[in-house]
Amino acid sequence: MRNYLKYISGLIAILLVCIAQPAYAGGPPAPSVFSNPLAVTFINLMLLLLIVIGILANIVIGAADVKLKKRIEEKARKSVIVLLLLMLFNPASVLAQATTDTVTKTSKLIGGMDASTFYVMVTVLFLELLVIIVLLLNIKLLLKKEKEKTITEKKLAVTTEEKVNKLSWWDKMNKLRPVSQEAELDLGHEYDGIRELNNKLPPWWLYGFYATILFAVIYLWRFEVSHKGPSSKEEYEMSVAKAEIKIQEYLKKKGDLVDENTVTLLTGADDIAAGKALFMDPSKCPACHNADGGGNAVGPNLTDDYWVYGGNVKDIFKTIKYGTSKGMRSWKDDLSAKQIAQLTSYIKTLKGSKPVNPKEQQGELYKEEAVPKTPADSATTASAGNK
Amino acid sequence: MQETNQSMQVEKFYYDNKIVKAFGYATVIFGIVGMIVGLWAAIQMYYPAISLNLAPTTFGRLRPLHTNAIIFAFVGNASFAGIYYSLQRLCKARMWSDKLSWIHFWGWQLIIVAAAITLPLGLNNGAEYAELIWPIDIAIALVWIIFGINMFGTIIKRREKHLYVAIWFYIATWVTVALLHIVRSIELPYSATGSYSWYAGVQDALVQWWYGHNAVAFFLTTPVLWLMYYFLPKAANRPVYSNRLSIIHFWSLIFIYIWAGPHHLLYTALPDWAQSLGVVFSIMLIMPSWGGMLNGLFTLRGAWDKVREDPVLKFMVVAITCYGMATFEGPLLSLKSVNAISHFSDWTIGHVHIGGLGWNGFMAFAILYYMIPKMWGTSLYSKKLATNHFWLGTIGIIIYAVPLYWAGFEQSLMWKQFTPEGQLRFDFMQTVTNIKYMYVARSVGGTLYLIGAFIMVYNLYKTIAKGTFIPNEAAEAAPIVKAVSQKKEYWHRVIERKPLTMLVLSLILVAIGGLVQMIPTFLVKSNVPTIASVKPYTPLELQGRDIYVREGCYTCHSQMIRPFRDEVARYGEYSKAGEFVYDHPFQWGSKRTGPD
Repeated sequence: MRNYLKYISGLIAILLVCIAQPAYAGGPPAPSVFSNPLAVTFINLMLLLLIVIGILANIVIGAADVKLKKRIEEKARKSVIVLLLLMLFNPASVLAQATTDTVTKTSKLIGGMDASTFYVMVTVLFLELLVIIVLLLNIKLLLKKEKEKTITEKKLAVTTEEKVNKLSWWDKMNKLRPVSQEAELDLGHEYDGIRELNNKLPPWWLYGFYATILFAVIYLWRFEVSHKGPSSKEEYEMSVAKAEIKIQEYLKKKGDLVDENTVTLLTGADDIAAGKALFMDPSKCPACHNADGGGNAVGPNLTDDYWVYGGNVKDIFKTIKYGTSKGMRSWKDDLSAKQIAQLTSYIKTLKGSKPVNPKEQQGELYKEEAVPKTPADSATTASAGNK
Repeated sequence: MQETNQSMQVEKFYYDNKIVKAFGYATVIFGIVGMIVGLWAAIQMYYPAISLNLAPTTFGRLRPLHTNAIIFAFVGNASFAGIYYSLQRLCKARMWSDKLSWIHFWGWQLIIVAAAITLPLGLNNGAEYAELIWPIDIAIALVWIIFGINMFGTIIKRREKHLYVAIWFYIATWVTVALLHIVRSIELPYSATGSYSWYAGVQDALVQWWYGHNAVAFFLTTPVLWLMYYFLPKAANRPVYSNRLSIIHFWSLIFIYIWAGPHHLLYTALPDWAQSLGVVFSIMLIMPSWGGMLNGLFTLRGAWDKVREDPVLKFMVVAITCYGMATFEGPLLSLKSVNAISHFSDWTIGHVHIGGLGWNGFMAFAILYYMIPKMWGTSLYSKKLATNHFWLGTIGIIIYAVPLYWAGFEQSLMWKQFTPEGQLRFDFMQTVTNIKYMYVARSVGGTLYLIGAFIMVYNLYKTIAKGTFIPNEAAEAAPIVKAVSQKKEYWHRVIERKPLTMLVLSLILVAIGGLVQMIPTFLVKSNVPTIASVKPYTPLELQGRDIYVREGCYTCHSQMIRPFRDEVARYGEYSKAGEFVYDHPFQWGSKRTGPD
């Protein structure tokens, strides 16, 4: 198990795909920046841009000719410093954030990260882009200079041939042979004037290929043979369970933990007004019950004493929350428990109002229970709910 | 070889340039048409009135027209122009039969015209990139076989002993496209224009994306690689970087590509094991794809000074770079955790247009800029205009793709947001209006690209006007001598002399992936557990389904709730394989411009 983890994390580092599966690899997944896809993408982008910067910086250095050497080295040194700064900056900002993350839960979220992380990351990305632009401008400038030079100082080129044959790290990385030794690599094939060389495979390409094959074997082993990795279904169940715990914790903290067993009638003016606003929202109740609650071709009258699914607070709450088999939809994913309680309470106030075009009676006659058993209780819950 | 050649009787013959010219013109015309349709559809995303309120020009009907026109008419004709130009020269022989060449040309153009008429009329199979109705499917198969006979005839009567790497790609492409097209198009006709897919539900989905993914692989990638392998070394006048790399990347590419189709179906009702195969083969595809890119870019070693001067090489360099980017991004998008964000969003649209506008479009432009002056015995009318086209196109691609990446990412994250109480934070509509301006930006990018294409038309027109067309180009070469027992050849060099062996090997390699995925999905019952309450559609429901397919509803809506918390909250219980057993064809969709 531990070995797989090591391999996987190694591979993932190679491929820059840290977003992959290891969040589930073992133990309870700690919430960090790394579990946020946007953050991970940003980090990957940063790394990618860093690589681009590295390559460009190398080109800038490489393109510098003898005359310009001094000046360019200075510039390159500058860009290297910027690079180093960025490199330090990246993980530092991420780690710093990881610690503050738990503290500043109330701050504004952007893309699932809090605002400061988001802006820091965007700034870094922007800076990296800026460095790239500066480097590109440098390259352009250098190429221009080089061109002028080759025209005016062609003779010098002969002496620098030795230098051309020297291999740069780029050549070494790709196992490139100097262009001047090309004849040795020529296979002697010729198709309509196209010749073929037989350069060695770039080592990073070959080992990269092996690495992806290894990745494939481990991935299949984890997900299809040992089943250590979760299936789509398990992943779903895990995410729902995780979310459920979070919601419960949040509601407990907020004191907004009503359900169909604990709900009571709210009487505060604020609650009734909030309930009314919800009721009147054209995308909610009026479509089936009319704006005045009198019912229409679809839904029953809510102002009379007859109820299809029961007329007490708990029943109405339940009907709104879960919906019914006859067409009433469930609202639990659209409205919070508190909102449903407010809505229920508002509906209860409709009793006896005179709708314009009331629908005929449906369901059973419901008689109001004498008095709520403990009126004091309901008052306290109502005021607690207001906070 | 060279010495023997000189001692042989040299034969004189002529290359057929007329057929290349015809395919070249078709490329330009249908390319422009396809791009205009694409732009039209893109503007409808934020300005629906431009559909003119006519059924034939609504998004659902234009989108299939756009994709079919670009894939089969623009890139198809460009690949054919390239193959008729390069095959003759690489084989040192005229095409085997001029008559078959012209049947191929007119057959293909008629198919395109038929598609351009039937798709706006709503005659549509409902399978992405295979929307054409069954009589056209049969015509495609016939024309494809005619093209194959002519190609193999030419290869067999060649005067060049060995087959160059571009020809390997011709062979593998031809056989694989034939296989894909035939298997995907098995359908039951119920009228002269209508038919239902033979496969249903999950099986149809598997066949569809085996086809759809490999249409990208073998119609938009390997043909463009053959263009690169011929035209890049010619234009740069440099030897190909590595024969060894060609061999390894060619065989690994065609073998691995075919397996990766299920990455279009991650988190759907497709069995998990098939999804996992899709993931791992997509990851393994990175390096074979990059082998092509490296062989292209490293071939330019020692010729980068020419890139600065020559618009043809400029287009090629950006094309190959886009190929590298798209083939790296593709595997990343195949990881389930990334796909969870990107799928159904505009990210995918941005991704394919890096490939489409960059790799395919730019390579097509490059070969037109290369071939037309050559065939008219002149030089390009204006390098400056071509360079302007290049920059407009490049900037167009960036302005096209970046907003879509942003839009896709942002919308997808908005879909997944919950309030702390556990309710969805955003209505679907809010997530759409939020990215409206990204759609505007995207169409600006597309417009720039299109303007560039018009500049090319003018430039080519002027080039043609100042040259004289050479319908038959004289050439000479000695015929092949029967193999004299030489020193032992490298094993692959032996295969390179045997086109039919190459054909059979390619067919076997590309068949494996499809078979391993399809046979269990079709035969093993546990892969599609039945659900008792799922009953066949009633006649009325079927009628409605036909309308759904006809109007291309699947281009904007999905019928596949993935097992994610937000999707279950928004659309209800996630989809199971058993729900779709009566769906001929499946209509899961691949983009959610509207809700599920």
